[in-house]
Amino acid sequence: MSISQVPAANGRRRSALWGGRAQEITMLLPALALIAIFLLLPFLSSFRIALTNERLIPRPVPPRFVGLGNFQQILTDHDFWRALWNVVRFTLMVLPVQCGFALAIALLLNQKLPFRNFFRGLFFLPAITSMVVVCVIWATLFQYPTGPFNQIVGFLSFGLVQPIDWLGDPSWSMPAIVLLSAWQAYGFQMIVYLAGLQGISESLYEAAELDGANRWQRFWHVTMPSLRQTHIFVLIITTIQAFKLFTQVNILTQGGPRGTTDTLVHYMFTAGFVDQRLGLASAVAILLFFIVLIVSLVQRFVVRDRQ
Amino acid sequence: MTTISGPGPLAPRTPSRLPRDWTAVIKFVAVLILALVIVSPLFLLVVASLKADRFQILADMGSFRAFWVSDPTLQNFREVWTFSGALPFGRYLLNSLVILFVTVLGGVFLNSMAAFVLAWGRLPGRAIILTALIGLYIVPQESIVLPLLTIINRVGLSDSFAAQILPFMASPLYIFLIYQFFIQIPRDIYDAATVDGAGPFRIYWSVFLPISLPVLATVAILLGIETWNQYLWPLMVTQTDRARPISVGIASFFGHDSIYWNSAMAASVMMMIPVLIFYLAFQKWFVSSFISSAVKG
Repeated sequence: MSISQVPAANGRRRSALWGGRAQEITMLLPALALIAIFLLLPFLSSFRIALTNERLIPRPVPPRFVGLGNFQQILTDHDFWRALWNVVRFTLMVLPVQCGFALAIALLLNQKLPFRNFFRGLFFLPAITSMVVVCVIWATLFQYPTGPFNQIVGFLSFGLVQPIDWLGDPSWSMPAIVLLSAWQAYGFQMIVYLAGLQGISESLYEAAELDGANRWQRFWHVTMPSLRQTHIFVLIITTIQAFKLFTQVNILTQGGPRGTTDTLVHYMFTAGFVDQRLGLASAVAILLFFIVLIVSLVQRFVVRDRQ
Repeated sequence: MTTISGPGPLAPRTPSRLPRDWTAVIKFVAVLILALVIVSPLFLLVVASLKADRFQILADMGSFRAFWVSDPTLQNFREVWTFSGALPFGRYLLNSLVILFVTVLGGVFLNSMAAFVLAWGRLPGRAIILTALIGLYIVPQESIVLPLLTIINRVGLSDSFAAQILPFMASPLYIFLIYQFFIQIPRDIYDAATVDGAGPFRIYWSVFLPISLPVLATVAILLGIETWNQYLWPLMVTQTDRARPISVGIASFFGHDSIYWNSAMAASVMMMIPVLIFYLAFQKWFVSSFISSAVKG
């Protein structure tokens, strides 16, 4: 905050310039230092740690260089491949559910509607709900055997479908996680789609209507092609988010039952924090980084290809 | 599927009035029902937190009484708030609020200062720094938490507030968001301030900050939500109740044979209240901030 307002006439420019430089450095440094210490340093050291057998709590014996041993161990671990497959499974299920729902709501809310802004606020509420709170709510919804979900399923099927142990049944645990994750997060995609829809020129619809296109045809031939960029963005963001799946499964299923909801981050957390095998966990972290990197590069490529 | 026609020009051309009114009514009712279904889990949470005890909650769960409470009581909240034994939720909530305020205030300040220098400063090497930051932005938090934990342990910050604040205040993403806003400001404004003899900080503080409220609000909201919802990191870095946030506190209800649903519900509502207040106060900015975070690519 110290700025010399009454500079001596002589050498004013030079001292101001120097003072400017010093100020700029002082302004830039705090943020850069924090990023260097708490982001760059751990990121770089994860590559070093991944090549050793370091433990979270240091042992008297210094950590040993093991080369690519950790990667070899992961890539031959059945549990790792299961975790990777679970994340892929989660992504494939959550993408259509979450993005499809978000698009449908965005289409509804993009029309003339009484209390439209109120509804937008309402539909966005789950997105501001913390995942931990979402877990508390959905754990009660999924209660076995008398929770609301089982009641609804029983009611809709006239009692034909027996109550399901949503979080405890290996074939239902992942769909259950998908459902609550999509409910929590669709608001973001909805907002992005709303922004995309508002960018479509009204004249396109008028032209289509003059050509005799009905609503369905207008949707497929005007709305969907115009949303191409939005689709790509939404899919990429959702995919990256999906690959980081952790909180829900850590709280609700601990990766179970029988490993059906074990995810990459959960596998890493268990290896590094629970089993204290830092080197092994860092190897997983690096693989996660490269997956996210590749997905982002695909986005760059696809978007650039278009332009 | 009456979802397509946008508002405006299409509407008045519909030939007869009656069908149009009907579709409008049907549309409205459909949206209303959908909204009720979507919000019902949150409604269930609030209702359940007002019930007498966990047995009542479980007993009501299988019927429509799950969505109704005949004699609401704040007993669960009182219990949760005054818990001082195993799970001091009053303390957790205060911890979370402290972490939130320091992170958001410090984050907005540090990120915007850095962004200002990168956008308008005269230091050499700004382009390189900017490129490096954009590169770092892609690194997911999940893949650095374990090495970060060893660093935090080594410098003796384990189980502290600092360990939950310092690593997340400065962020490449937010620097970049503010940078993009700053570089769109016309050069004349900067030049005029320089001619008046103001130094960089003065220009930043009294010229650029006041006209940058939208982007600063965006960063504050995004950083705030991110901080409030942190789970993996505090789960690893807090060993005692000293600096433990409410998210980890609530999660510790799980994993036992019988969950104290009444306390979990009340604690969850407590965790939602600050976010809801902010959301209602700044709803417009909230939504637009999510859009602008989307335009970061």
